[in-house]
Amino acid sequence: MVKTLGWLAGAGLLVGLIMAFGVAPREVTQGNVQRIMYVHVPLILASYVAFGVLAIASVVYLARRHPAADRVAHASGEVGVLFVGLGIATGSIWGKPTWGTWWTWDARLTSVAILFVMYLGYLLLRGTIDDPERAARYCAVLGIVAALDIPLVHFSVYWWRTLHQPPSLMKPGGFTGSTSILWPLLINLLAFVLLYAYFVARRVRLLRSEAEVTA
Amino acid sequence: MPDNWGFVAAAYGLTAAVLLMYWRRLARRERDLDTLRRRRP
Amino acid sequence: MSYARRALAIAWKDLAVERRSKETLNALVFFSLLLLFVFQFTLGSDRERLAAVLPGVLWLGFVLSALLALGRTFLVEREHDCWEGLLLAPGDKSAIYLGKLVGNLALMLLVEALVLGLFVVFFDIDLGRALPGLLVVVLLGTLGLAAVGTLFAAMTANIRARELLFPVLLLPVQVPVLLATVKATEGLLQGEPLGAVAHWVKLLVAADTIYVVLSLLTFDVVLEG
Repeated sequence: MVKTLGWLAGAGLLVGLIMAFGVAPREVTQGNVQRIMYVHVPLILASYVAFGVLAIASVVYLARRHPAADRVAHASGEVGVLFVGLGIATGSIWGKPTWGTWWTWDARLTSVAILFVMYLGYLLLRGTIDDPERAARYCAVLGIVAALDIPLVHFSVYWWRTLHQPPSLMKPGGFTGSTSILWPLLINLLAFVLLYAYFVARRVRLLRSEAEVTA
Repeated sequence: MPDNWGFVAAAYGLTAAVLLMYWRRLARRERDLDTLRRRRP
Repeated sequence: MSYARRALAIAWKDLAVERRSKETLNALVFFSLLLLFVFQFTLGSDRERLAAVLPGVLWLGFVLSALLALGRTFLVEREHDCWEGLLLAPGDKSAIYLGKLVGNLALMLLVEALVLGLFVVFFDIDLGRALPGLLVVVLLGTLGLAAVGTLFAAMTANIRARELLFPVLLLPVQVPVLLATVKATEGLLQGEPLGAVAHWVKLLVAADTIYVVLSLLTFDVVLEG
């Protein structure tokens, strides 16, 4: 089962890669550097999926105390932080030639950066608590706090950047809506979500095995 | 605007490298666990 | 003992301990004075830059004091081996949270009043009409910090890297509260009425409600062991 997910993800990534360079057009204003979007956006969106799953798994764990829910939350957190970190890095690499800067404090970048640090803290908390049962409980609480904080982060940062200040930055790769851009993006998005699922499945299996061995 | 293929390569390369490293880390830990399990009767 | 009475008992105990030892209070006051001096050294002569930076620096002082105060919330229980006492306490443990929250809030507000007073005096700031609005914003912001801070303090109380992990966990989560308070303070100090910063106030109210309710619901889970 895990293996099939792996093969599917691999196939998806391969097709996605081909489409990103073969099907997708050369962008008018930015040139070929815009092709970075086909990894950057899927990475970020897949990380949102990861954090959403983490939130749900945290609630389920507190309600039912199933160790499986805790393992899913743990794995999702790991892969989520991995993906969002890569997303930020690729976004930065994309931004340098197009915006002229590695970083800017616009609403979206700031929000994602806060997200990254929040969930990095989640992983740190996991790493610091030795007792697995206590770690599961505490991380579930933190997971829920973080999830509920996300809308607050979104609004506060958005208001900070847009009130009394016109939006000055254009997001690279504005959507023209053409299918030759949309399809490569969707395929890559699917591929990265499959990759997330494969990584989580494998990580959960590893966590379960580790628990059995140390029991 | 020039194509900046260097940046494209950097972005895709970094992504591939990091994901590959994570994948291999998973594989390695599974192997270690297997050897640990086999040592215990 | 009724729920409310238990909560108040805890708040009262913490404040009484603090009144006698004054450990935390002294540290916070000293730290605030330090902040005042450094601020004076860097910006004292330039009124315009001072006015521009004041809201941020003020809240920086409040936050760092908060980290100090909140980090020590469960210090007494830890040091004097009373942690098990907390775990074994009968009834709804969220009363403990409420008590700790009230105690922390009182301490933090006291220090903030002191810091604000010192800033007003030493930098000749005219609060004037801004004061009532400022009080609202400071109260809401402090509640936000204390609400999550007390919960996280309990979570990190018995962990190895407690002093490092507590701010690392708290600060990212508190960004919305910090943004809202600083921007609202900025607006108020520039002479705008409270209505002009209403969206920030609403965000603070929403945040405070979420944090307090969530903490009340999950505190039992944290004190399971």
